[in-house]
Amino acid sequence: MTVTTSALEEAVRVSEAVENEYVKRWKEGGGQVVGYSCVTTPPEIIDAAGLLPYRIRALGNPNTEIADAHLARFNCSFCRSCLQLGLDGTFDFLDGLIETNGCDHLRGMFENWQYVKPVAFFHYVKVPHQTTPEAMEYYTEELRLFAKALEAGFGTKVTRPKLKKAIERQEAVRSKLREVYAMREGDAPSFTGTEALSLFLLASAMPADDYLALIDRVIDERSGTGITGYRARLMLCGAATDELELIGEIEDVGGLVVTDSLCYGARAFWKPIRTDLEPIEALAELYLKEMLCPRMYEDFPRRRDFVIDEVKRAGVDGVMVMHNKFCDVHGVDNVQLRLSLEKEGIPVLQLEKEYGSKADIGRIRTRVQAFLERIGDRS
Amino acid sequence: MTILAGAPRTSREGLFERVIAMLDMVRSIPDDLSDEESEGVIALMPPDVAETLEGFLNPRVRRASIAYLKMIGKWMDEAREAKETGKKVILVPFNFVPELIHAFENAVPLTSEVLTSLGAGAIEGKGHRYWDYAMGLGIPDHLCSSSTIELGSMLTGQDFEADAIVSSTAGACDANSKIHEFVAHYLGIPQFILEKPVDDTERGREQFRRNFYRLVSNLEEYIGEEISEERLRDVVENCNRAAELHYQLWELKKNVPCPVPNLFSFFVYGCRFTMWGRPEAVRCMEVMVEESRRRLEAGEYPAPRELARVGWLYVGYYIDYNGLFNWMEEQGYSYLFDVLDLFFPDPIPTDSRETMLDGVCEAARRFPMTRQMGADSMSVAWIDDAVHMCREMNANCGIYCGHHACKQTWSVISIVQKELMDRIGAPTLCLQGDAWLSGMTPMSRLQGDIDEFMKNVVIKRRRVHRPLR
Repeated sequence: MTVTTSALEEAVRVSEAVENEYVKRWKEGGGQVVGYSCVTTPPEIIDAAGLLPYRIRALGNPNTEIADAHLARFNCSFCRSCLQLGLDGTFDFLDGLIETNGCDHLRGMFENWQYVKPVAFFHYVKVPHQTTPEAMEYYTEELRLFAKALEAGFGTKVTRPKLKKAIERQEAVRSKLREVYAMREGDAPSFTGTEALSLFLLASAMPADDYLALIDRVIDERSGTGITGYRARLMLCGAATDELELIGEIEDVGGLVVTDSLCYGARAFWKPIRTDLEPIEALAELYLKEMLCPRMYEDFPRRRDFVIDEVKRAGVDGVMVMHNKFCDVHGVDNVQLRLSLEKEGIPVLQLEKEYGSKADIGRIRTRVQAFLERIGDRS
Repeated sequence: MTILAGAPRTSREGLFERVIAMLDMVRSIPDDLSDEESEGVIALMPPDVAETLEGFLNPRVRRASIAYLKMIGKWMDEAREAKETGKKVILVPFNFVPELIHAFENAVPLTSEVLTSLGAGAIEGKGHRYWDYAMGLGIPDHLCSSSTIELGSMLTGQDFEADAIVSSTAGACDANSKIHEFVAHYLGIPQFILEKPVDDTERGREQFRRNFYRLVSNLEEYIGEEISEERLRDVVENCNRAAELHYQLWELKKNVPCPVPNLFSFFVYGCRFTMWGRPEAVRCMEVMVEESRRRLEAGEYPAPRELARVGWLYVGYYIDYNGLFNWMEEQGYSYLFDVLDLFFPDPIPTDSRETMLDGVCEAARRFPMTRQMGADSMSVAWIDDAVHMCREMNANCGIYCGHHACKQTWSVISIVQKELMDRIGAPTLCLQGDAWLSGMTPMSRLQGDIDEFMKNVVIKRRRVHRPLR
């Protein structure tokens, strides 16, 4: 008997593996893979160097035994979880690693990774926390140095035409993700939050051309379909959340996640790249000036306005703001966000959680159920 | 604004006013207080205040303590007077050069961590109520109490309020940067950022210089005054004099046993973070040098022998000055430095406004925490400083205080601990606690851990491997 698998089922299945079959195929074909973690790293530059950009993830891995010998319990469990996979060999397929100063925990994660088990190629992209003219100039130069480092490390050339082509490819990926998100806006969304996260995760873990072929099939398959019977439409905001299981739990109790401003989510693709600038300047503009991350210390009003606009655009009933324990940047920003949203009359649930912790799930389910009780019932 | 239960109800209950009320009492103390008078003063105080004063008025440190507290009193008076006379009060973090603000005629610096340290050590209730208020707003409990206690007091809306915030922690500390952003937004006051790029190349240095000059020009515009060369020169000359005294103290600390009382480490950076560039800080530093010299000549040390020479790799604990600093030296454990002492001042050329501002800029780039955690690699820069200082001071062990909020140091302490042992054979004790919240780990427990480490590891190793000079 032949079992036919839908494109979405295939995408979800592939997204659940760290080293997925597309990465394996890429490596078997002689390709090299460069890992990065922070949303301020332009994958276009890695792509233009002929390398596969791969965004580091932990997929809810709760085991941090090896990492805990290096990072401390006061470091965020997402970074500990990623370090664990770095040190236990899961990420051995990476030929290079790109550090950014996304946050203090992330910096510690990279320093320990390189100290304990160095990856052959390592480069640090230093990202300012402001968008002053001086900061923009500095970051633009950082991106040039990044390209040069890849050239030197991998014996390749990042030419202007290659960079333009890579920008087109990655913009096509981002555009498809925007399309997926748009399909969640209506009364009967075409994707659950869990499915949307799977599609997002896959976009930064396989070659862009393969992804575009797959996502087109997924979009075709889901066009005209809709999910009904949910209790409330939710928006997720906050820290690094690549936990499919967590979103599954939220949706399991009746909350449908219809949009987000997450690091592993809308924050990475919400804005189209400018085409009227030189490629490297356009990347600097997109990845720093337009960045909606609380690591930027002067931009809270812009982050708040984005969330409020999204609430209106996607017909959100309530916003969940989450941060992993010990995450300062989101922990504080979420307080400001909660206060601002409450002022606008938007219901908010603020949650502090441990990344990937099964023990935390029961508590989170209870909090979400109570929140859903509070904001009403669409079903 | 709704005031939460337990929050201060009047401005007299804010942290600033309560600290200044305590300092008002100290102001009336004569510089040459006798032992009997000292006991009398302590007996009049509520328990939390008495505990700290007992430490500060210990005969070993009394003269310097009085000079220090009078300097701090003057610093706080200036902030209060500034409010009354229309000058700007600029709230700054500990890793910022206060001399830049002193160079303005119409602005004064107020350092949040210094206020917190005074509150945590010297007011009844140790500042917990302000922390609780911030927690009541939803601020996470993993934030840094050093800034959140003072800023929590400001957030109540019932305390002395700064007019603007300078945040110089961008690049070195997320926790501080975020609370500065939050407070500025919450209170609707301007925030000026000085970012240290995590880049120690020439390009990174130049970028910091550009950021610094942008800050100067933003402050000039905000304060409505251009820094005058003449006033800047006065300030810089005082900085240079204080720097000389700082290095004299370093030299004195190299003696075995260490003639510089442990508490002076705290006083030195107290000067650095508040009145550096002012004659009051110079005077306080002079008293510390004089006292240390006198003790060296007299061969004074509070224990029969100096058993351990300790480099505190990050900050100390400020919840019980007597219980940490004085207790340690009474056991024969010298507190040679902590990271806040590591600001390595260079003499600043006074030729022109630009040479002076460049000098202040370089001082800002090399400030504690900025220089280690704001470096290209946190662990490499921190190890370099720790190894250098332990060698210079002949330290035979390290202690990491394990302040809960220091995520960046916690994230690389395992590397630092290993490298310190590999490179200079110095073992490191990792404690856990909150440096400004006494409710987290009691001092008695910290003392127990330190004592056990010294007796079981450091002293035994010293006998076998590495005698003190």
